Amino acid sequence: MAIHKILFASLLICLLIQSSHAATKERLFSDLEKSALEVTATPSRVGEGVGVDKLSITWKVSSTATKEPEFKAIKVKLCYAPASQVDRPWRKTENELFKDKSCPHKISSWSYDPAMKAGQSFDYTLERDIPTGTYFVRAYAVDTKDHEVAFGQSTNEDKTTNLFSVQAISGRHKSLDIASVCFSVFSVVALLVFFVNEKRKAKIEQSE
Amino acid sequence: MGDSTGDTGSSMHGVSTDKTGKYDLPVDLEDRATVFKLFSFAKPHMRTFHLSWISFSTCFVSTFAAAPLVPIIRENLNLTKQDVGNAGVASVSGSIFSRLVMGAVCDLLGPRYGCAFLVMLSAPTVFSMSCVSGAAGFITVRFMIGFCLATFVSCQYWMSTMFTSKIIGLVNGTAAGWGNMGGGITQLLMPVVYEIIRRCGATAFTAWRIAFFVPGWLHIIMGILVLTLGQDLPGGNRKAVEKKGKVVQDKLGKIMWCAVSNYRTWIFVLLYGYSMGVELSTDNVIAEYFFDRFHLKLHTAGIIAASFGMANFFARPAGGYASDIAAKYFGMRGRLWALWIIQTAGGLFCVWLGLANTLVTAIVAMILFSLGAQAACGATFAIVPFVSRRSLGIISGLTGAGGNFGSGLTQLIFFSTSQFTTEQGLTWMGVMIVACTLPVMLIHFPQWGSMFRPPSTDPVKGTAEYYYVSEWNEEEKQKNMHQGSVAFAINAKSEDGRNAPSTITV
Repeated sequence: MAIHKILFASLLICLLIQSSHAATKERLFSDLEKSALEVTATPSRVGEGVGVDKLSITWKVSSTATKEPEFKAIKVKLCYAPASQVDRPWRKTENELFKDKSCPHKISSWSYDPAMKAGQSFDYTLERDIPTGTYFVRAYAVDTKDHEVAFGQSTNEDKTTNLFSVQAISGRHKSLDIASVCFSVFSVVALLVFFVNEKRKAKIEQSE
Repeated sequence: MGDSTGDTGSSMHGVSTDKTGKYDLPVDLEDRATVFKLFSFAKPHMRTFHLSWISFSTCFVSTFAAAPLVPIIRENLNLTKQDVGNAGVASVSGSIFSRLVMGAVCDLLGPRYGCAFLVMLSAPTVFSMSCVSGAAGFITVRFMIGFCLATFVSCQYWMSTMFTSKIIGLVNGTAAGWGNMGGGITQLLMPVVYEIIRRCGATAFTAWRIAFFVPGWLHIIMGILVLTLGQDLPGGNRKAVEKKGKVVQDKLGKIMWCAVSNYRTWIFVLLYGYSMGVELSTDNVIAEYFFDRFHLKLHTAGIIAASFGMANFFARPAGGYASDIAAKYFGMRGRLWALWIIQTAGGLFCVWLGLANTLVTAIVAMILFSLGAQAACGATFAIVPFVSRRSLGIISGLTGAGGNFGSGLTQLIFFSTSQFTTEQGLTWMGVMIVACTLPVMLIHFPQWGSMFRPPSTDPVKGTAEYYYVSEWNEEEKQKNMHQGSVAFAINAKSEDGRNAPSTITV
């Protein structure tokens, strides 16, 4: 019974530790300064596919930004538009920043110093694991504690304008298809060979 | 020289007619082992056990192989929550029918061919997963792979040709439990294989496709092993065996009616749907749940999900054992109480799992839930053999099919729509388990009682003999078809609890 008591006690301790951890993570998206950054994203070739298509992205600090002195780094991310979030709770937008799953794909990040107010412009080649969908680009400005303080995005607040679509790779290859057919045929043929062979052996034994 | 066919169509491959046949284990008059030696691979009994549970486990691995990879697959194939849920339903639905058919196949071709045929013919379905390009293909392939879960029937059938009925409960429970472990093994195996392939340079959307070749190869390997190393019968006097095959010439229609008209059959169909059924459903959703809710890496979620299925290693046999101990003191009433307590506890832990907000509580709740659900499976099949002697095969088959049906229904209601989040689905599933376990209270055996009613005191109708022999009509009794039931009733006195005779002689 002593073991049971120890197990129960350690369970209680774990629960207490866990519950205390949870309290610190409540930074909200709605607290961030909106439109502190101006972001544009232009696809170079529409609908050709990932791994080939490029996005031309620019970001710069907006003249209306008030929290600019706090900026230490700029993180640029690829985000799902509402059309790609329907019936997909794993891409849901949440106000609590640590829970929000709408911007999972990192594009790039830049260390920020005040000389970079005029912004950056660069090309991003879409990664091969980006799924099919409709997207926009968002840039977060983070402070020294790596907490987001402001953001800007390439679409409007309702996420209805300037969206672009991406076509994913299928992941299929001819060699895979061929290998799969070969192994399948082998399995069926091996079974039939065994079966026929055994029946034949039995018939031979019977006639002896 | 062996003949080509033995008892009821099974082949004589590997069977020696050497009558001085020395087996590694002590055997009964039909050469079935009377002892269960777990770590032996000796021909033919223990070797059959290991071939049987490993091939059943392989089928569990391939049926649930998609589940831990869903976070990748859903992005590649652009699936919605409904698509993922429907694929889960499809994966358990196919075997409802294939399990019913497999019984007939075992009778015609023998369990060795039944197992090998199914395992090798379903290998192409596993390989075809790598060619899937959308939701429709994904759902179809999961449906087809699911057919191979019928190896449950060949596994149990094969065990009953190799092991005597006194220990068949433990043997079948262990074989079934270890087979079900495959649902846990796959949650570890597939993410690891996927990671390795990715690190070798493949992109994410190709790596998961290549990963499916591993369960496919396992099917082929196990099929070949079963064909080369397996045998249908332990061996021995073929004439005696053949003769026995002619004694019980029962009619399918009568057996079916006997099973279907017994209300206890249907209660067990429902109960198993909420012990085995929820286990299958959880195998399908748990990895994705931990990945999404607690922001874990794919293989971390896989490890946690694996511990759910792996608990089967001891949980299912433990449930059967708990039932046996309850029967020792309280007879059949003890078995019924044990089943109700274990399954209800599992349901309550499932409710807790859905409500858990932190990772540690979720893991603890999940493990306790797995112990409850899997032990309940073991406890269910500790009672099923007593429901009927004449129709045991069909009732076992119906109960097994009920498990899959319950799984499909639960996934359809709670995990395929946007109406419930996955955590809400888990909580409601727990509530449904508790509710659907209540009918155990209605199971009443006149000779042993039920949870709340004592056995009947009627000197004729309150005996085990009356219960089992009443499955036959006068005509059949005159043909002496009921003698097996009489012998069974005598042996079943062990379910009287403390009043049971200490030794039973037939």
